[in-house]
Amino acid sequence: MGDLLTVSATVVARALRFLFIIVAIGRGAARAVELPSSAAEAIYAAAPPRLLQIRTVVAGAGRQISLGSGFLVSADGLAITNYHVVSQVALAPKTYRLEYVAADGSRGDVSLLGIDLPNDLAVVRLDKHDAPFFSFDKTAMQGSLPKGERLYSMGNPLDLGFTIIEGTYNGLVEHSYNERIHFAGALNPGMSGGPAVTAGGLVVGINVATRRGSQLVSFLVPAHFAAALLERVRGLEVPADLRPEVSRQLVAWRSALYKSFGEAGFRSTRLGPYGAPEAAASWFDCWAYTNAEVTPKPRANINSTSCSSDTSVFVASDLNTGAIEINQSYVKTVDLNQFQFAAFLTRLSQPRLVGGGPFRKWYTPERCHEDFVSVTPAPEHPPLRAIWCAQAYREFDGLYDVALVAVTQDHESRALVSRLSLQAVGYDDAMALGKRFLEAVQTVK
Amino acid sequence: MMWVEILSRQRDVASRFRIDGPEARIGRGYDNDVVVDDPYVAAQHLRIFRDETGQLVAEDMGSVNGTFLDGGNSRLARIMIDGSNPIRIGRTYLRIREFSHAVGGERIVRPERRRLPIALTMALGVAILGILVLDIWLGQTVEARASSYVTPLLTVAVILLGWVMIWALMSRIFSGRSRFVGNLMIALAGAVAFALYADVARVAAFAWTLSGVITYQYVAAWLILGVMCFLHLREVGRARLWLKAVLVTALVATAIGVQTLERSEAFSDSGRQVATWQLMPPSLRAVSFHDQSAFFGEIADLRAGLDRDRGQPRPDVAGQ
Repeated sequence: MGDLLTVSATVVARALRFLFIIVAIGRGAARAVELPSSAAEAIYAAAPPRLLQIRTVVAGAGRQISLGSGFLVSADGLAITNYHVVSQVALAPKTYRLEYVAADGSRGDVSLLGIDLPNDLAVVRLDKHDAPFFSFDKTAMQGSLPKGERLYSMGNPLDLGFTIIEGTYNGLVEHSYNERIHFAGALNPGMSGGPAVTAGGLVVGINVATRRGSQLVSFLVPAHFAAALLERVRGLEVPADLRPEVSRQLVAWRSALYKSFGEAGFRSTRLGPYGAPEAAASWFDCWAYTNAEVTPKPRANINSTSCSSDTSVFVASDLNTGAIEINQSYVKTVDLNQFQFAAFLTRLSQPRLVGGGPFRKWYTPERCHEDFVSVTPAPEHPPLRAIWCAQAYREFDGLYDVALVAVTQDHESRALVSRLSLQAVGYDDAMALGKRFLEAVQTVK
Repeated sequence: MMWVEILSRQRDVASRFRIDGPEARIGRGYDNDVVVDDPYVAAQHLRIFRDETGQLVAEDMGSVNGTFLDGGNSRLARIMIDGSNPIRIGRTYLRIREFSHAVGGERIVRPERRRLPIALTMALGVAILGILVLDIWLGQTVEARASSYVTPLLTVAVILLGWVMIWALMSRIFSGRSRFVGNLMIALAGAVAFALYADVARVAAFAWTLSGVITYQYVAAWLILGVMCFLHLREVGRARLWLKAVLVTALVATAIGVQTLERSEAFSDSGRQVATWQLMPPSLRAVSFHDQSAFFGEIADLRAGLDRDRGQPRPDVAGQ
């Protein structure tokens, strides 16, 4: 989706995860007339008691290692923030603990109550009672907020102090498996977990990410996920260890994702004399590449398509995983002989497993199998040289990263290189998809 | 009448003295017939004379350090001279020979056979050059540049030449002759063997799907290097070949062991196989295509290994 709104320790000496709470202003936006000089001013005037900065503190050192924002949503001290603001505590509760700092400077302990990993949300409990809190916007939860509606996002960017940012609601992001609101506003690192509210002060979404290399393209998690999570964990005890929950949610979310991917299946796109499988699901983004205009003039032409899904989820500060990618390259020699052409294909088709985090911490060593493969019936299916590489996640039973590469073997001067890479996939799902993928590589008359 | 020969530590003749009288005196003093500049030798150390039977006898004249037969540990007062076994006084080796000492027949001068080894060496040189050029050419997938041929070829040539020079120098030091052609031939043969292995391995990895031949290429490289070293040592000198063989074997075994260890540690750090994925023209395929279900059957079997690995503690936090 984009860059999460945290500042990494390498960027700023400390990593900032900010939570801002926006104050719900009185019910009813109709009172805009009565507002002081601007809507933002009015909203912010009411926000401070409901906004929080949430700090992840190194238990053994007593200081923060990262900062984020959050906001109160109930009178009994429940607050919403991003999962990625509290992930260190969820995964290593002995090393880290949570603290909040309110706008008036008061601070206190925070305990992690529940998480929604796919939607990057968490509910925390504060030892703060009877404070004012934010409410969710009913219109937005039903998805009927009009595009162009003004939104006000709050948070503590770069630990500079609680800030309010004006922006525009642009509906849900297209081609996205995860439901996210496109917010045109300048979210900055540290605002993660802060609320975005309407002029009426009702929460529409939660600050989560921006798109790198763009201006003002920011993302919010729709409020209905937060409301659902709150409903689910309200009244629960603070769990001792959230790791099994992280693992359970990740596995459940991935299997739903791959089920949906499998149901949509593959559609064939024509590349030279081959029919090449592309992902049919609507949440894939497909692009083309050619080396035709490269200098020096290439000695083999590549025309390729690449479909990728934006389905990575934040699991830990060093693990984002879940991307799916399909590459199809049709390669045809210009003046390479068949050995040179094979060397060219070798380079193009290396079976890389792209892990989403440091190997030793998260993955087992990869294991590969390669062979000449024939898919029946022969005339429509070119013979293949295929390799499958897989690695398992140490922490998450039943999840693997898989790469499948197939190179057609029916001609010595042209070939289709097909690559399927699946992150955080169940092994059976991966095999079923791999089979269908190879079956979808066809010769077109 | 006799000859007194002073020998080097290698038991080569360093100097030779002709004694025309019936007796010879040997020692450090200048009143001797043969003066030995060895501080461990007495001023009057040894007397050579004929006994009643006419046999030459060496007699120690009361030296402190004594007189020994070469290789012997017992101090001898008198030694019967046989003309072959050297005598040691102090740290000097001597050999006494009669005028009548028989020498063998002259060795036949062999006709110069240098042309064959030179031709063979040149053939090997052409072979390695050809293989390298072919490899570079067949691996060339971008615009051809002269430097992509010249640089690797020169590098290989300089390394080979340096290697041969070292062995030629060793030969010169230890056997007196540099045997340049012999050493060059060994080095070139080794290079050809390795280049051929690498090419065959690449083809085999594709044609028979034997990725192991590339994975364990370093073992082949060390074995070839070991054989080369042994042949070079043989060229340096043919004495104690078994010892050289043992030495080279031990070195090669150590090298293979160390590299295997290094690779397995690198693998546990990165989790990635050394790339063995190698494509060749489809016509080189030597095995038949396997059905898709067989392929996925093998893939299903990988799962057990992955799950087993998952059960292992992380390499960096074992015991945490």
